[in-house]
Amino acid sequence: MLDKQLQIIRSSHRISSADLLGQIVTDFTEIHGDRVLGDDPALTAGIALFEGMPVTVLAVNRGHSMQERQRFNGGQVRVSGYRKALRMIVAAEKFHRPVISLIDMPGADASVDSEDHGQSQAIADLMSKMGALTVPNIAVFLGEGHSGGALALSNANRILMLESALFSVASPEAVAAIITTDDDVSEYLPMTASQLLKIGVNDETILENQNLVINLKTALKKHVSSLTPLSAEELITDRSNKFNQVLNTWK
Amino acid sequence: MSHLPANGTWSKCPFCNAHVNQLEWGFYKQCPHCHRYLRLTAQQRINQVVDANSFSQIDTNVESTNHLNVPEYTQKLAKAHQQSGLDEAMVIGQAKIKAQPTLIGVMDTHFMMGTLNTAVGMIIKQLYLEGAQRRLPIVIFIASGGARMQEGIYSLLQMNTILNAKRAFDQQDLFSMNVLTDPTMGGVSASFAFEGDIVIAEKYTQIGFAGRRVIETISNEQLPVDFQDADHLKQHGLLDDVIERAAIADYVGKMLKLHQGE
Repeated sequence: MLDKQLQIIRSSHRISSADLLGQIVTDFTEIHGDRVLGDDPALTAGIALFEGMPVTVLAVNRGHSMQERQRFNGGQVRVSGYRKALRMIVAAEKFHRPVISLIDMPGADASVDSEDHGQSQAIADLMSKMGALTVPNIAVFLGEGHSGGALALSNANRILMLESALFSVASPEAVAAIITTDDDVSEYLPMTASQLLKIGVNDETILENQNLVINLKTALKKHVSSLTPLSAEELITDRSNKFNQVLNTWK
Repeated sequence: MSHLPANGTWSKCPFCNAHVNQLEWGFYKQCPHCHRYLRLTAQQRINQVVDANSFSQIDTNVESTNHLNVPEYTQKLAKAHQQSGLDEAMVIGQAKIKAQPTLIGVMDTHFMMGTLNTAVGMIIKQLYLEGAQRRLPIVIFIASGGARMQEGIYSLLQMNTILNAKRAFDQQDLFSMNVLTDPTMGGVSASFAFEGDIVIAEKYTQIGFAGRRVIETISNEQLPVDFQDADHLKQHGLLDDVIERAAIADYVGKMLKLHQGE
């Protein structure tokens, strides 16, 4: 069952953040670079209007074609991507813009460069700042989102997941290899949208019918408007409570 | 066979394969031939860094259970408990280091490679909470292979919730430092390990996010010998310093003094 789901979300036809951007926001203007190392093509960052309201968008791209996948590093965000995201959310705080992350990333970038430039520190810094953000943040899982990199982008007030999206501690293949099993690991470990909805990681599942874009837009609108009245302090508490409540289901 | 030495008198160095006498490993468990260190148990680490008789353990009351019924996890937990004598992969307490009072947390690779799971996450959050309540600095000796896969998303979500607990501690303007010891990897490396006010590593420590073998396989390149080694990270500006095992207590004591005055 998981195999089929992986096939769907890894398919070259899978809806990407780039496909969605033009349909859920207007006036998207890309902001490039982390001002230190470079400009990670795997993470598109920018400012846009969502229902007329300025928002900051962090969109992980996986790409459709082989060429695109090569250019986007298959959605494996590099150090400069996390650094770019960090400076974007600092600016979002200043201008009181909600932050929307669109996530489709198979896991950490496994490369010498990423390690030498402090991938751990970059992920930790982004995760930490996301948790303390004084503006609302919402993460949308379009396909896969695995390991610390995905969590750094989804340490958010709300998490929305497309019906067949996955969110896991590591890719299902890596998990299976480490715990040495040939089983479908989702039989034990909650990682699908419906499993994560039950324990409160996922706040709303977005149906993947012909109205996908409308479904997502409606959900985003609902959650943004429920969060914008909250004060900075309330937003930080709301976010921290969300994850504490999930951990309370470990019993 | 009375002419043979007692079991455990001689052992092979895991790094250079030299045969080393029990006495030669010494207090710091350092190979006399290649100078690398054996991984320490939490108790050995505590003995090496805290002032004599100053350690009082903080009760954590945690017990890991296989809630998700992952195959063989129950047996692995039982075996780890039996072999290490620990309830989980971390010990916390209050102590003095070079006469400076501090809280201390020590991870132990002898319990499932020091992996971060729900229980270990709870212990770390408790440590930050105790630090804020007792108004004491915190020194954590990190040793972990990363997130524990058997607890899936629950292990992953320790990363951000530990950072939340640390933020509450930091808001009291208290000092925390981390000593990265072998290995410091994955979800531990990418959450609290690098977020101390001071972050140093013990010499010869492997530090990274993705594992060496994974990177080798994916990148298809021959990795340099010192890749992910503490000194290599220091050269890249990622660590405040790299310290020999025998000098760590002095370094930590001095840092505590520099942050609190005498």
